Amino acid sequence: MPDDRVTGRLLRAIAVLAFVAALASVPLFAGKFVIYLAMRVMILGIFALGYNLLLGGTGLLSFGHGAFYAAGAYGLGFFSLHLSPNPLLGVAAGIAAAMLLALLIGFFSVRSTEIYFAMLTLAFGMMVFSLIWNARDITGGDDGLIGIMRESIPLFGGVKISISQDSRYYFLVLFFFLLSFWAVHRIRNSPFGLVLAGIRENAKRTEFAGLAVRNYRLAAFVISGAFAGLAGSLETLLESNARPFMAHWTHSAEPVLVSLLGGIQTLTGPVVGSILFVAMREIVQRFTENWMLWFGIVLLVIIMGFRGGVVGVVRQLADRARGPRGG
Amino acid sequence: MTRKRISRRELLKLAGTGTVVAAAGGLGQGLLLPRNLWAAPPKIKGPVKIGYQAVLSGTLAGYGEFHKMGAVMAVEEINAKGGIAGQKVEMEFRDSTLKPDDAIKNARYFVDSWGADFLAGIDSSGQALALAPVVQQLDRVLMVTHAATEKLTEEMVFKKGIKQIFRICTPTYQDGNAAAFIAKDFPAVKWATVSPKYEYGFTCWKMFQDTLKKLKPGVPFVAESFAPFGTTDFRSHINTILDAKPDGLYSTEWAGELISMVKQGREAGLFEKVKHVIFPVGAAMDVLEGLGKDMPDNIWIAGRYFFLYPNSKTNGEWVARFRKRWNHYPAYVSETGYSSIYAFKAAVEKAGSKDTKAVIQVLEGMSMNSPAGNRVFRKEDHQAIYDVAWGKTKADPKYPFKIMGEMKVIPTTVCYNRPPFEGPGTAPPF
Amino acid sequence: MQSIVHVCLAGLSSGMFIWLVASGLTLIFGVLGVLNFAHGSFYMLGAYFSYTVLRHLFPNFWLGLLLGPLCVCAVGFVVERFFLRYVYRLALPYQLLLTFAFVLIFDNLVKIVWGAGSLTPPDIGFLAGSVPILGRKFPVYNLFIIGVGPLVAVALWLALERTWAGRIVRAASSDREMASAIGVRVPALYTGVFVFGIWLGALGGGLAVPYVGLLTPGMGETIIIEAFIVAVIGGLGSLKGAFLAALVLGVLSSFGTRYFPAFDMFLTFILMAAVLLVRPQGLFGDAR
Repeated sequence: MPDDRVTGRLLRAIAVLAFVAALASVPLFAGKFVIYLAMRVMILGIFALGYNLLLGGTGLLSFGHGAFYAAGAYGLGFFSLHLSPNPLLGVAAGIAAAMLLALLIGFFSVRSTEIYFAMLTLAFGMMVFSLIWNARDITGGDDGLIGIMRESIPLFGGVKISISQDSRYYFLVLFFFLLSFWAVHRIRNSPFGLVLAGIRENAKRTEFAGLAVRNYRLAAFVISGAFAGLAGSLETLLESNARPFMAHWTHSAEPVLVSLLGGIQTLTGPVVGSILFVAMREIVQRFTENWMLWFGIVLLVIIMGFRGGVVGVVRQLADRARGPRGG
Repeated sequence: MTRKRISRRELLKLAGTGTVVAAAGGLGQGLLLPRNLWAAPPKIKGPVKIGYQAVLSGTLAGYGEFHKMGAVMAVEEINAKGGIAGQKVEMEFRDSTLKPDDAIKNARYFVDSWGADFLAGIDSSGQALALAPVVQQLDRVLMVTHAATEKLTEEMVFKKGIKQIFRICTPTYQDGNAAAFIAKDFPAVKWATVSPKYEYGFTCWKMFQDTLKKLKPGVPFVAESFAPFGTTDFRSHINTILDAKPDGLYSTEWAGELISMVKQGREAGLFEKVKHVIFPVGAAMDVLEGLGKDMPDNIWIAGRYFFLYPNSKTNGEWVARFRKRWNHYPAYVSETGYSSIYAFKAAVEKAGSKDTKAVIQVLEGMSMNSPAGNRVFRKEDHQAIYDVAWGKTKADPKYPFKIMGEMKVIPTTVCYNRPPFEGPGTAPPF
Repeated sequence: MQSIVHVCLAGLSSGMFIWLVASGLTLIFGVLGVLNFAHGSFYMLGAYFSYTVLRHLFPNFWLGLLLGPLCVCAVGFVVERFFLRYVYRLALPYQLLLTFAFVLIFDNLVKIVWGAGSLTPPDIGFLAGSVPILGRKFPVYNLFIIGVGPLVAVALWLALERTWAGRIVRAASSDREMASAIGVRVPALYTGVFVFGIWLGALGGGLAVPYVGLLTPGMGETIIIEAFIVAVIGGLGSLKGAFLAALVLGVLSSFGTRYFPAFDMFLTFILMAAVLLVRPQGLFGDAR
């Protein structure tokens, strides 16, 4: 048994290294469009990874995370337009804005659960959307916040790293993506993560154990909001604009979709879901203008065939193949 | 392998003739294109690839189809007559979904993956503005065929110098300023609006008010009701208008929302109470056909183009060809889509190259004949200048929908804002 | 006075209209426990089928209203029998995802079958036109909708409370195992309730043809959120709650548009949040 665990850990380390190496080498051999899509996948991946801390971690289904994504985007936008164009400080400002908003919305929302939690977060998210849409003088209304530049990152001693080129910005996105992946992994396996899992399985029992369930839920909500804010600010740097539809419920539904596609019980699920989501749409769109129809059919097949999410099913198959040894 | 050798031999041959032609041309044209004397021949290489995107899903999907009809028809015609500078035109059409992020993704796909030489389309202002820095980075000309925001040409092109953007359709000046010139002749004194609750609606209403105030000092504006995107029930908005008892109604509602508003307005007696009505985008084919005889008479309507104007041979023949090909009257986006392809053709052939810089140089100030009449791309802001008609709705036994009677043109020289777009003398009246 | 009465009437008709769509959604959730995100799509299909009957088969409004929704029931049957049935036991998000896939599919199919452009219905005959109320015209058809709403509500109530089938449905919705134990064929019952709920949504669509006056692919997406909000404010599964919520929401947003236009995009969401904060289970929902 201990041998198995060591080899398992080794295999996992090798897999992670290979994954990182593959991601890092994308700009070396891939075309510009693939680099761009890879960035979109990673940004969606960060959004979904954080989101799944809430959905997979505590079982709470939020339909308002677009609001935090938008807070990150507009937070970075305002910061870089009015205070400092430093991208890293901008990202920090975006995350801070998202966390503040998540704290406010979460405070009112976490007392509900299930569908009522979903609808409450939907309502708050749509209020943020309406606010951005209506506060035209500050936010630019439906035109969005435009003209946000991707300035160089200043380091110590006056050295600056330019990220204006996509192939360079890619590495910043990759850095944050890996950081998020690592952070989510750590959170899931921390005592805090175990409490969350306990709440998901049985909230009453956790409450009896003397833990304030609501505070834990709120903490998970704010943390997942921070990841949404990070994703939003990274997208704003990528596309140089922030727009009200980032806060719309249709956008809030994206991490839900992606997490479910990949599987909410695993760490890698949301990432695999993000890859599938972006790649599937791109491939379908190359063949037909009726992309919605085919995308819908593919979704249907995945839901009916892979009910535990793609990663869950693949893992089950792998376990079955290993068969007698695993048993 | 064989194909490659042949093409190389051909290339050498072409290089030879090219130099001769260029040298001969150089004698005649003076020093217009001096680089031809020593650089590559002006013959363009490979097909001309155009990436076109418009909305093909959701409630406005009909607009995308109309864009497509116009653009596809232009590509078919051009290819049947030998293409652009002897090269085939290839077009790929994508759903823009009205979302800025999808528009950016499409543009990047077109250029970075598919290898597009030119970009065209775009319905929403938000998309156009978001795309501006992207097309600058991609360095491809984007010909906007529907989005109307003046910020695109004033701020992005003129102030920020994003030269890759051109607009072939009319901007908000037409919907706002020109409408005020129509309104000034009415005996109406009190105005109200039901308009879309987004930048387009706000901007046009503001332009209308600003211009009308200057033309007719002291004119009161008594009510405004802005309807969010996707409104299907206009009854409360109509109540707001009826309560204010205006004599004039100005509305930049468009597409399905205009159809719903007119139908519900009729039911509430809106057009009996308010005598003077202006719909700056009411002359869209989907609206006219959708409303049929439900469109009230004597309403002033306009569009980015209307198939009965100008009364020219080019236009008449085009409308006939369009109807034969698609069994439809052309919508305004069909005309702008169609003409955008021909604008590329004219520019590439004149520049002798698909190179973005060369094409921009030619397009600036270029004049072209199109179904909508003569278009000139204004050098400073890349806005196409062409006149469109206003008219009063009336029934005509020849058509199953209302058409424009009593047409009137507010010349662009009168109603378009002028560079530098700030300070006195840049906004009408001049 | 004239203004207030007309704002009220406009609110009543839009509220009753949303109720017609939300009733099916509520019924399906109450019995099956499924949140049918595709309900808006069935509404859209109802509109398109009714339109087709009206325009191409029989130029009679009532026949369109009868036959159109029946066609949609067939589609609903297929969806329940071959897809939805297999996700009843899965968590809420999976049900949403499955029904979302159908939204994409139906929206696109409508575009392929009926074309991308908007369609406008032909005249409907005697329900067209307006009557003056306090000196301002009000459409007859809207009065008709204001009448139909309560009619459907009463009919539903009678069917559930006073009939044998209604009693079985109520039994199955409160305890599936028990109903099954006393010999109710629960799967067949579920199919029946789902198809009936779809019929209600499609009926709303058929009624929307003259009410909205315009059919577009994607027309279901705007109504589904409103119907969701109504169902949630009322308390999921409670028809009485949905009816009241629709009424309140319709009138409130009509007044909002007229008197507080700056808030008209917020209003419904503020109302929903306020209700959920005070009563997390909605107005008439059971505390689960």
